[in-house]
Amino acid sequence: MTAEAALLELAGVSKRFGRITVADSLSLRFTAGETVGIVGPNGAGKSTLFAMIAGDLKPDAGDVRIDGRSVLRLDPATRCRLGIARTYQVPRPFENMTVFENLLVAAYRGGQVSRPQGYAVAAEVLEETGLSPDANRPAGRLGLLQRKRLELARGLATRPRVLLLDEVAGGLTDPEVAQLVDIVEQVRQRSVAVVWVEHVVHALTSAVSRIICLAGGRLIAEGDPESVLANPEVKEVYLGVDIDA
Amino acid sequence: MIAAVRVTRSRRSALWGLIGAAVVVVLLATLPYVVYADVTDLLVNAFILLVLASMWNLLAGYCGLISVGQQAYVGIGAYTVLVLAQHGINPYLAIPFAVVVAAAIAVPVSFLVFRLRAEYFAIGTWVVAEVFFLVLIRFRSLGGGTGTGLPGLALVDPAFRQALTYWSALGVAAAALLTTYLLLSSRMGLDLTAIRDNEMAARSSGVRVTWAKRVVYVVSAAGCGAGGALLIISQLNVLASAIFSVGWSAKMIFIALIGGVGSIEGPIIGTAVYTVIQQTLAQFGAWYLILLGSVAVLIAMYLPRGIWGVVTGRLHIQVFPVGYWLHR
Repeated sequence: MTAEAALLELAGVSKRFGRITVADSLSLRFTAGETVGIVGPNGAGKSTLFAMIAGDLKPDAGDVRIDGRSVLRLDPATRCRLGIARTYQVPRPFENMTVFENLLVAAYRGGQVSRPQGYAVAAEVLEETGLSPDANRPAGRLGLLQRKRLELARGLATRPRVLLLDEVAGGLTDPEVAQLVDIVEQVRQRSVAVVWVEHVVHALTSAVSRIICLAGGRLIAEGDPESVLANPEVKEVYLGVDIDA
Repeated sequence: MIAAVRVTRSRRSALWGLIGAAVVVVLLATLPYVVYADVTDLLVNAFILLVLASMWNLLAGYCGLISVGQQAYVGIGAYTVLVLAQHGINPYLAIPFAVVVAAAIAVPVSFLVFRLRAEYFAIGTWVVAEVFFLVLIRFRSLGGGTGTGLPGLALVDPAFRQALTYWSALGVAAAALLTTYLLLSSRMGLDLTAIRDNEMAARSSGVRVTWAKRVVYVVSAAGCGAGGALLIISQLNVLASAIFSVGWSAKMIFIALIGGVGSIEGPIIGTAVYTVIQQTLAQFGAWYLILLGSVAVLIAMYLPRGIWGVVTGRLHIQVFPVGYWLHR
């Protein structure tokens, strides 16, 4: 794994909010074509990590690199154009636009495609994520499940190289989770690095090749799903949290 | 794989709306031949308000930028025409220059006011307008604080002048609406709607938020500059304290609010309603203002999307559709 060049790399990233440390000198590497799960108790710094990768938050120390080049000084839009797509844990659809228009924005700006190409990209993502029947509905009228799908779809429409998924499986039924895992696998096969933060651990174990466990902003364990979830320290930080694995 | 993707700009054809709008403009253009000048004068004022309200709507309704300082560009537009007229340039031909000057000044100002957020932005734009006012009244040649007349039109036949002013105002209003339509139906229109709905998500979907806002700010300033140019031409004089009055922003807000913020059609409806209220009740003095204020408050409370918002919500009508409809 270390032999391959890292597509996305975090080097000694630290972030504190007052007295709470959400990232404590974290160093992580992600390569193209791998799906990595990130688990950890609430407040472990998972969403903060995504915010620092996508550019919504600045780390206090450390560096974030794409293809070995620092992106710290780049704004979120530029990072998205470089290939970093993030979904939000609480969906943030463009409510007064249709689902199709939501994807068009992402394709044109994040994906930087031409006008007719944008139509094709958006239609393709609609098909892939099963949102085609809702294409012309205003996003504001979607239920939570469809909103989560739209988050994923909008991320995909930017034609990402790194896809950051923030709890997209929460509230989904088992068949829906299986569908989602299939989509993620298809995306991975296009040489995308998928980084997936999830509380629904059984969704992760079937989709990822590697799991990272964070707690208190530190890396507790890293490795294949079985060994990480069997790790006593991981079990301890999850104590009282339903792992359902 | 998807073989062919067919996309139109609305569920129904956008063509009819544009043809209808063109017919209305042509009909309006014939008015100086069929009605008295008091009617066209009234419409000149309405067109100016329509331009200003459309520009304010572009800022607030699509970028979430609440400005109470657009009178800065109204004033700059008017004084550009004055300065050029004093140097022998025909005021009507000076209108495009007013647009350019207002836009050119808006570029550096945007870097200043964009450092401010929300209510600070609103106050900041007002302060900028006051600064322009205070600077302009220093110039004796421009009438200082007591105002001055617009030279260059004394020898023109009044009836012809009034018709010319009317056509200019109609042309500027049509151009303002067309610009708004073209801007919103371009890909930047998608950016703007996305920004309005969720700025953070827009940013992380690759939208250059600040750039899009700057473009709209400059376009809005240009439109207000044209509005100011029309004002001085229709009034034949200019008073700094009147042209730089925050009252212009109040009118823009009122019209956009009652018509419906965030749609092209809203300010048109708003202007019509405002003009009717003004014509029927202006003689009641203070009561007129109280009524205007009450209407604005009631609309803001019960019809947050304005009159057009109700119409389009019930009937699904769009005169200027800028959306994308995917056909399967």
